[in-house]
Amino acid sequence: MAKIIVVTSGKGGVGKTTSAAAISTGLALRGKKTVVIDFDVGLRNLDLIMGCERRVVYDLVNVIQGEAGLNQALIRDKRVENLFILPASQTRDKDALTQEGVAEILEKLKEDFDFILCDSPAGIERGAQLAMYFADEAIVVTNPEVSSVRDSDRILGLLASKTRRAEQGEDPIKEHLLVTRYNPERVTSGDMLTLDDIREILAINLLGLIPESEAVLRASNQGVPVTHDISSDAGQAYSDTVSRLLGEDMPLRFHEMQRKGLLSRMFGGGRR
Amino acid sequence: MSLNVDSAVVAFTFKGGMLPMTVMELSSADPEQIRQQLAGKFSQSPAFFQHTPVVLSVEKLDEPHLALERICAVCRDHKLLPVAVRGGTEPVRQSSWALGLGWFPPVAEGRARGLESVSNSPVQEVSREEAVSEAEAPTLATRLYRGTVRSGQQVSASDGDLVVIGAVNAGAEVLAAGSIHVYGALRGRALAGIHGNIQAGIYCRELEAELLSVAGNYKRSEDIDAQLLGRPAEVHFTKEQLEIKPLG
Repeated sequence: MAKIIVVTSGKGGVGKTTSAAAISTGLALRGKKTVVIDFDVGLRNLDLIMGCERRVVYDLVNVIQGEAGLNQALIRDKRVENLFILPASQTRDKDALTQEGVAEILEKLKEDFDFILCDSPAGIERGAQLAMYFADEAIVVTNPEVSSVRDSDRILGLLASKTRRAEQGEDPIKEHLLVTRYNPERVTSGDMLTLDDIREILAINLLGLIPESEAVLRASNQGVPVTHDISSDAGQAYSDTVSRLLGEDMPLRFHEMQRKGLLSRMFGGGRR
Repeated sequence: MSLNVDSAVVAFTFKGGMLPMTVMELSSADPEQIRQQLAGKFSQSPAFFQHTPVVLSVEKLDEPHLALERICAVCRDHKLLPVAVRGGTEPVRQSSWALGLGWFPPVAEGRARGLESVSNSPVQEVSREEAVSEAEAPTLATRLYRGTVRSGQQVSASDGDLVVIGAVNAGAEVLAAGSIHVYGALRGRALAGIHGNIQAGIYCRELEAELLSVAGNYKRSEDIDAQLLGRPAEVHFTKEQLEIKPLG
């Protein structure tokens, strides 16, 4: 049975699309047949992060409006088998999405896929609500800063009230916390909220912690999800996150300041 | 502060306050129809009609001109004291002032849900009537909420106490006719005694509140002594003001 997972946050720029790309890649690398859907109609980004922007012909809105078939719009990832991307439309706005249309697409995708990831737009309006509406699980992406934590808190409230599971009185959506852009040095110096602060306020299960990393920006600009960069801290952290999503027990990494060795102190080695 | 006024000669001071207020939401502009309905209500619960101040809300009416004077007379006949009008056209505003009534702008749609929405909701208004008429023998229905009250959420106990087993996060709001007990951190807004019960209190395991209010007497976060923050606390209305003390 396919699992529908929404990647959401409320606030923009916290790493939703990066995380959706990295986690879907990670799932596919483990042999799970995965599709990732960009719900940010009008501000399409996922195709860039996945490096398939030059292969977009049809999009989500085309499929909803019956202008193209689902299989015509799905883009097969070139690097990993089992991974597909359903891009958003760049020329329409979020009103082009309908609940019935989204429901129909998800029903069809459920027949073929193990995981369906919905990359939510920022905000709490129509696009974000439709991205979360049919979800079985939610990954709430949060940065260690107060505004991001408050917006995540708001999203958690909506997940518990404005979704199909909530409205039909089914088991609630399984909520996961993914903390991104975590910089242990800045946490220690008091510039950032600590992981414990975030967990205390949001009071949900921690799925993963992604350190602030140069690898993420590099990956975004190259259109290669950071999960492929297995030598990087962020790539490893996303890999751990995927393991936990699949039910494995992984120890937490990258949340403490690294004690610098003699060599890196002498040569001033930065974190990569 | 810069005004060098001796406190001995000050005749009054202006103070901000949030008083519980009954809003009478008119869905008809016909004074006769209003009279009939009021007469019915009056016979049901005469205790409610004891020179109770009311705000006449005409937002839902689509009439440029109102027989405001006659409507007010009908209200006074039933021991309701109109003190102000909310909403309506420019002529309505002018005639409100001419009648010695205050005028409030209409409540904007989608405004932050605050006290206003509480006094607007029919459930709350009914419970207010009950609270007044049963003042001697209140039946307190405690509402228990398990879990985190999250930003943007509002949890209210319109008849009695509210008990939250969990935290109330920043941007969330908890309201109760009685007292509010938070077995966790209180980071949002807590309004106890929303129908005017000044005996109500607020109790929490960790005080980080944005706003504390008992029967409309409030303190904002920045008015709270920093020494009390982050610790268990209790809040009561004593000596004409809100008093916050460490708990236990």
